[in-house]
Amino acid sequence: MGIVVENPGIQTTVQDEGRFGYQQYGVSPAGPMDTKSFFLANILVGNKRGESALEMTFMGPTLKFEKDNIIAVTGANVSPTVNNEPIPMYQAVLVHAGDTVAFGVATGGARAYIAFAGGLDVPVVMGSKATLMRNKIGGVEGRKLEKGDAIGFVNPKTSLPKMEMRKLEPEKFPQKEVTLRVVTGPQDTAFSEEEVRKFFWYSATITNEFDRMGCRLEREEPLHHIKDGNTISDGIVFGSIQVPTNGQPIIMLADRQTTGGYTKIGTVISVDLPKLAQSVPGYKVHFVRVGIQLAQELYLRQQKELKNLERCLGQRG
Amino acid sequence: MEAKFLMGGEKSLYVQLGDEISLDVNQKVRGLMHNLETDPIEGVVEMVPTYAALLIHYRPEKILYDQLVEEVKKRMADAGKADEASQIVKVVPICYDKEFALDLEDCAKFENVSVEEFIRMHSEHEYYVYMLGFAPGHAYMARFEEPFHFKRRESPRVKINGGSIVVGENLSNLIPFDQPCGWNVVAATPLKVCDYTKEDPFLAHAGDWVKYQPVSRKEYDQIKADVERGTYKVETYAKKAVK
Repeated sequence: MGIVVENPGIQTTVQDEGRFGYQQYGVSPAGPMDTKSFFLANILVGNKRGESALEMTFMGPTLKFEKDNIIAVTGANVSPTVNNEPIPMYQAVLVHAGDTVAFGVATGGARAYIAFAGGLDVPVVMGSKATLMRNKIGGVEGRKLEKGDAIGFVNPKTSLPKMEMRKLEPEKFPQKEVTLRVVTGPQDTAFSEEEVRKFFWYSATITNEFDRMGCRLEREEPLHHIKDGNTISDGIVFGSIQVPTNGQPIIMLADRQTTGGYTKIGTVISVDLPKLAQSVPGYKVHFVRVGIQLAQELYLRQQKELKNLERCLGQRG
Repeated sequence: MEAKFLMGGEKSLYVQLGDEISLDVNQKVRGLMHNLETDPIEGVVEMVPTYAALLIHYRPEKILYDQLVEEVKKRMADAGKADEASQIVKVVPICYDKEFALDLEDCAKFENVSVEEFIRMHSEHEYYVYMLGFAPGHAYMARFEEPFHFKRRESPRVKINGGSIVVGENLSNLIPFDQPCGWNVVAATPLKVCDYTKEDPFLAHAGDWVKYQPVSRKEYDQIKADVERGTYKVETYAKKAVK
């Protein structure tokens, strides 16, 4: 085996890029909440960006290694240690058989990722290893990790080319207040222009109902629809901002349902979703309207940065 | 209605082809999806058909929004009707035994018909699968004859069993897994609505037709055993004429 779980943490799941191609059958893609941190962890250990890795929430697990492998930890600072000795975040580190890797409480964010060179050996379900807990699909028996779970490595490594270059400046996530850029639609016309303006003008607060499926927000003054918050059910994307009749927005996230019948005022652009994934209840959210051209430009720029990093390390995404 | 192109962020496009739930509008959605499957646009990675819209996920690295809209418009110009596969009717055995049919008597009472008559109304007609959503394999299906009149339950049940058949107006859905539900439960199928171990895990696909076949409790148990053994084969027949 590769790792044995000595302590599972609060919610640790196997994720890969996501289970795509099955949304037309009602299967949510799952995948990482903070895709950027997830990609960086994989790139640092020489993997394809979308390779299987672990997502931890608030508090990480304790893992006993039974084989040597190279790991990298990204996302919120979870103070990783090997045999109680601190190791850096955002850096490829060789861990030996018999070592114990442990994590503390997340600070400066909510979620962290640990990638393993070569990826994790869990069954591929509908083309993906991503865990979708709601439907018990993927990962380890479709659930979060439990004490005693053992997960194998697919192709562990003890060395990687350019090892000294495999480190990055840790990402800093916004604290207390988060600004999310939004492309309006598909149902922004269910609201008057005045209400759409209010959506962008006034902030909202993240409530306790915030999990991998979605993030419920609370506005002091709920949004008003021209008619009501229902529409003929259509598809939902990562970042869709649903506004039911009660006027309180819900941002749909990694484990979102594939379809829904609430009006969607807009979509959070993908490069800003990691900021939300690293937020916690109580944070204020401001929405800023952007056009499709800028949104696509920002996305392409991020893709380019990831590609450049991969090129620097002599690997292909 | 003229097609509308709506944005789902920078990586997804909604093509809305109508503003009502109807076979006609849904067939347009199926037709467009079929065209995009047979004559793919580079950069399109996944499509999700729903009642009146097709959601197209794409990669801006390959194609930008404006170009995609242009390409989709081209495919729409020669948008045919739905694909051939959608003319198949799948026969789904269902059992109206009291153990499963929690709301059967109440529903029949509301419609002011006997339970037998209710079962006839519910099972005699073919259902069209508008879309799958909510949960893996969860089929939203409608018939076009003899709609019921009762509404959803006032207080939703915290849990109904996977395999339940639920009804409301002209709709009757297949429930794949245990879930909370506010609809009325009138029967259960011994078939697996979703089985991840199969190459095609889903009993019904969007665009299919489904015919409910009433079976006795004994037959239900027999079919369930066959399904467990992997020896049950779903019956199909060709749809006669699309209304």
